Amino acid sequence: MNPSKEDDSYRVPGAEGAEATLRLIATVPVPQGLEDRVKAGLQAAPQTGRVLHWPSMPLSGGRWMRSTAARAAAAAAIVFVVAGGGWGVYSRVQPAQSPKVIAMPQRVNTPGGFSNAGAMRTPQTLNGPVLAHPVEETPKLNDGDVKVVPMPKKSQGEKTTARKKAPAKADPR
Amino acid sequence: MEIVDRAVHDEDCQHAQEEALAALVDQYAGALYRVAFSVLRNPTDAEDAVQEAFLRVLRHRDTLGEIRDHRVWLIRIVWNIVLDRKRRTKTRPETDDVSELTRVLPATGLSAEQRAAAAQYHAHVLKCVDKLPAREREVMILSAFEELSSVEIAAVLGVTESSVRSRLFRARNLMAELLDHRRSIK
Repeated sequence: MNPSKEDDSYRVPGAEGAEATLRLIATVPVPQGLEDRVKAGLQAAPQTGRVLHWPSMPLSGGRWMRSTAARAAAAAAIVFVVAGGGWGVYSRVQPAQSPKVIAMPQRVNTPGGFSNAGAMRTPQTLNGPVLAHPVEETPKLNDGDVKVVPMPKKSQGEKTTARKKAPAKADPR
Repeated sequence: MEIVDRAVHDEDCQHAQEEALAALVDQYAGALYRVAFSVLRNPTDAEDAVQEAFLRVLRHRDTLGEIRDHRVWLIRIVWNIVLDRKRRTKTRPETDDVSELTRVLPATGLSAEQRAAAAQYHAHVLKCVDKLPAREREVMILSAFEELSSVEIAAVLGVTESSVRSRLFRARNLMAELLDHRRSIK
């Protein structure tokens, strides 16, 4: 039943007038020809939202892929091909691993030659000219003429002291 | 052959759906119009709302068979449409309720003067109804329809039956206050 009628305990004095007005509104006469106008509107409306039915294949009298086993086999073949293709791509393309050790070229310091000044690569130089006649060796000096005294290696502190002391030797006093 | 069968079947289905829809229009267009008019209070807008409601039904006609109560379902559709329209037309200037009611309401056995006074009173009451909170107002408007039970009102509004009753009680109290307040001012 309607709640406005079914339970008088909910009635509130003073609100009946409002409810009477609303009931009057709720019973307004329907305009003539409303149904016809609505129907005409529905017929004029575009017929949308129809789902297309995929027609069955006409091959072999419409019995193409009728059996469940054939459909399952076809589905399995499709899955196999797709999965195999994916695995093939996955197995070939592997992410490049970052090297843990970087190989550096060995620097060869040739004794007596020019250093490569820390260059990573040095161009190959041409071989020098080859002498046809060997150069005569210079005569060896006698031991008494010149005495080569090997200079001892000095540390930095000793060098400075030696420089300081040098003018003292030159002092005539 | 199968394609032809299917096409015939589809055509039959479509024809049946169209017939069912036409039957729904014949049966419920009037009720839907009144529900729409109670909110919009304009005959043209109410008719448009009914038309729109049936167009929505046309779009979902495939699901017609699944609906248990077509009446409540249709009222719910038109109710949502009119509430949406009411919300959209809020910015528009209000229609003159008095003249509209004078034109629409039945006036059997009333003089022109009485008719104008009645229309004025109804317009005043409707203004008070508009001042109610939305929840209470909606329940009060729907409860004025004799053919709608509280269960059906609850189904239309998507609430429980007990909340329909409590909202109606609050709405009545508020209306009494509003009308009494107006009377005391006068």
